[in-house]
Amino acid sequence: MSGAGNREQVFPTRMTLGVMKGKLKGAQTGHSLLKRKSEALTKRFRDITKRIDDAKRKMGRVMQTAAFSLAEVSYATGGNIGFQVQESISNNARFKVKSRQENVSGVYLPQFEADINESINDFKMTGLGRGGQQIQKAREVYSKSVETLVDLASLQTAFVILDDVIKVTNRRVNAIEHVIIPRTENTISYINSELDELDREEFYRLKKVQEKKQIATAAADALMAAKKLKEEQDRLNELEKHEIDDVEKLVVKDEVVKEEESEVNTKANDDDNTDLVNETEGDVIF
Amino acid sequence: MASEAKNRTLIACMGDEDTITGMLLAGIGQVTNEPGKEKNFQICNDDTKSDELLAKFDEFTSRDDIAILLINQHLADVIRLEVDSFTAPFPAILEIPSKDHPYDPEKDSILRRVRRLFGDS
Amino acid sequence: MEGLFFNIDAGYIEGLVRGYKNSLITSSQYINLSQCDNLEDLKLQLSATDYGNFLADINQTLSTSIIEQKLNKKLIEDFNYIRSQATYPLSKFMDFITYSYMIDNILLIITGTIHNRDKAEILKKCNPLGWFDTLPTLSITTDLNSLYETVLIDTPLAKYFHNCLSIDDLDDLNIEIIRNILYKEYLEDFHNFCVTELPNPTDEIMDRLLNFEADKRTINICINSIDTDLSTEEKMKMLPSIGLLTSNDSIKYQLSELSDLENLKILISSVGPYKEFFNDSSSSSTAGGKSLEDSFYEYEMNLNRNAFTQQFTYSTIWAYIKSKEQEIRNIAWISECIAQNQKDKINNYISVY
Repeated sequence: MSGAGNREQVFPTRMTLGVMKGKLKGAQTGHSLLKRKSEALTKRFRDITKRIDDAKRKMGRVMQTAAFSLAEVSYATGGNIGFQVQESISNNARFKVKSRQENVSGVYLPQFEADINESINDFKMTGLGRGGQQIQKAREVYSKSVETLVDLASLQTAFVILDDVIKVTNRRVNAIEHVIIPRTENTISYINSELDELDREEFYRLKKVQEKKQIATAAADALMAAKKLKEEQDRLNELEKHEIDDVEKLVVKDEVVKEEESEVNTKANDDDNTDLVNETEGDVIF
Repeated sequence: MASEAKNRTLIACMGDEDTITGMLLAGIGQVTNEPGKEKNFQICNDDTKSDELLAKFDEFTSRDDIAILLINQHLADVIRLEVDSFTAPFPAILEIPSKDHPYDPEKDSILRRVRRLFGDS
Repeated sequence: MEGLFFNIDAGYIEGLVRGYKNSLITSSQYINLSQCDNLEDLKLQLSATDYGNFLADINQTLSTSIIEQKLNKKLIEDFNYIRSQATYPLSKFMDFITYSYMIDNILLIITGTIHNRDKAEILKKCNPLGWFDTLPTLSITTDLNSLYETVLIDTPLAKYFHNCLSIDDLDDLNIEIIRNILYKEYLEDFHNFCVTELPNPTDEIMDRLLNFEADKRTINICINSIDTDLSTEEKMKMLPSIGLLTSNDSIKYQLSELSDLENLKILISSVGPYKEFFNDSSSSSTAGGKSLEDSFYEYEMNLNRNAFTQQFTYSTIWAYIKSKEQEIRNIAWISECIAQNQKDKINNYISVY
């Protein structure tokens, strides 16, 4: 089968997909119709072929009989009448053919028919002195054999024409079956895959946008939290300063004990900060 | 094609003297004064050269009033290539036996086409 | 008495002709010939006859036409040999024999002239028996006028043309009618010559032979013209006035007037010797039976054979020529049958010797 690369050059859009689907449908219908036509013609063709074969063999015999009747003429006349016969030809043939058309699955086949004009006889006088009867007889025999030949000619012409038409039709059938249909199918699957790809890209893009948004939000949150913490610290420090000042002012003797107490308070504040950061990171990841 | 076949009413013949005489007796002959269409039959004997045969063959096949061309098989053999390569539907070319040369179906160009198509010999 | 001086002039010739006659192919030889399977066999069989090796120099495949051609050549050689020995009146007699072939030749040329054919071609087709010195000059003429003049002056047939045909007739009349008119004139003239110039018994025998020849033509013309539109007068012009049928004017007139086969048969059968012709040939149109033509030939051959029974007569030459012609036809027929594989009709030849 034709490779995946064999497709029509189209833009993979939904509209083209519709067009292509229509085309595939058409091609399939056309294929089955042509196939049927080709079968009908082939049937006829085989029939004709057989008849040609028979007719050609029959012609061999008929012509032999005819040639023999001519031998009888030359026996009776004791000479060759060829020259006399040739010279008595008039300007209108007695034996002509008519052609008729016959329609076989849309193909016009000519049918020849003998068209004998009985009023014309160029050889009435030939052999008047002797052999006239034999000449007339030979005339009849030859007329008969020419009729056979005319039939054969019809068959043969039909054969030639049918042969041509069948070849063309078969070529079309094959072209549709092996080129057009696969190509259209390829095109359709190409369009489909392209459209799917587009869909996935779009989805990924949306996700990515969402993620970016979330990261931005988290960062903003963390900043905000840090700011708050700092403010608290500052406030505490301020508070402590005031307390120390107060204590220094009030109690100078109790200095060591008060220093230990402040250390414990700072540690507790530090622990609170780490927990907050951990929590934010987990949220972003999952 | 239809009109093409309509005007073709004549039978032309190329052959030896006996064949021609017989065909003329049957009444196929037509002699006119029209240039190029004087006679629709031609006597060919053993002395007739192959290029004369060819010229006649071409003349008859190119005339537009001939429906059937009869040719003796032994003459067709001389110009076999041309006969074989003539594939137009008109005029129909029939190879006929002559008195001295009986019919041999194996040589007939149409029958050979038949055999080629169906692959039997 | 008549035989007393015959041998002075014609003794050698008569001996010659009788010798030839003995070499005519006999019935048993015909049977041998008709048994042949192909033309090569036939050639072999013929070489045992007087024809000898006449086909020896043929190197292409034998065909009926070649055989016929060679047979004719032999006949012509024989004829010319006799002719060269002949003195008057035999020479004149033999000239008369050739006239019938001349008629055919001249008509061939007339036809050729009317249709402007190549003259060299036509000369080849002429029968050598009817050859005469001025025949080639005839073929040079290009128009009917000069042809007519030449025919009138130069050929032995001049008197026949002069008697019955004008120059216009050449143009207007069908060539077959001209042929038959000439033939009628010729037969009458020949008959006249035989009866008046030749000694007994030649005149008697020739009278019989020529009468039959005339009757044969008469019957043929009448039968073959049934379907044509020939008028009674035209027919009258073509029917010879000798012969059993037509020496009687009333029968002749009736013959030319009748236009259907049955009445013709009745009329012809009323004349003695021709009674059986139609009995045999009534079925001639259907294949198988003897045709009228065959009956004619057979009757003629019997007459010819009988002509040999008389001595001291020139008619043997006529009889010999005619027998020989029949023999050629027979051999041609047999070889045709062999060549075309139609053995069932091979026995239609006519053999009387």
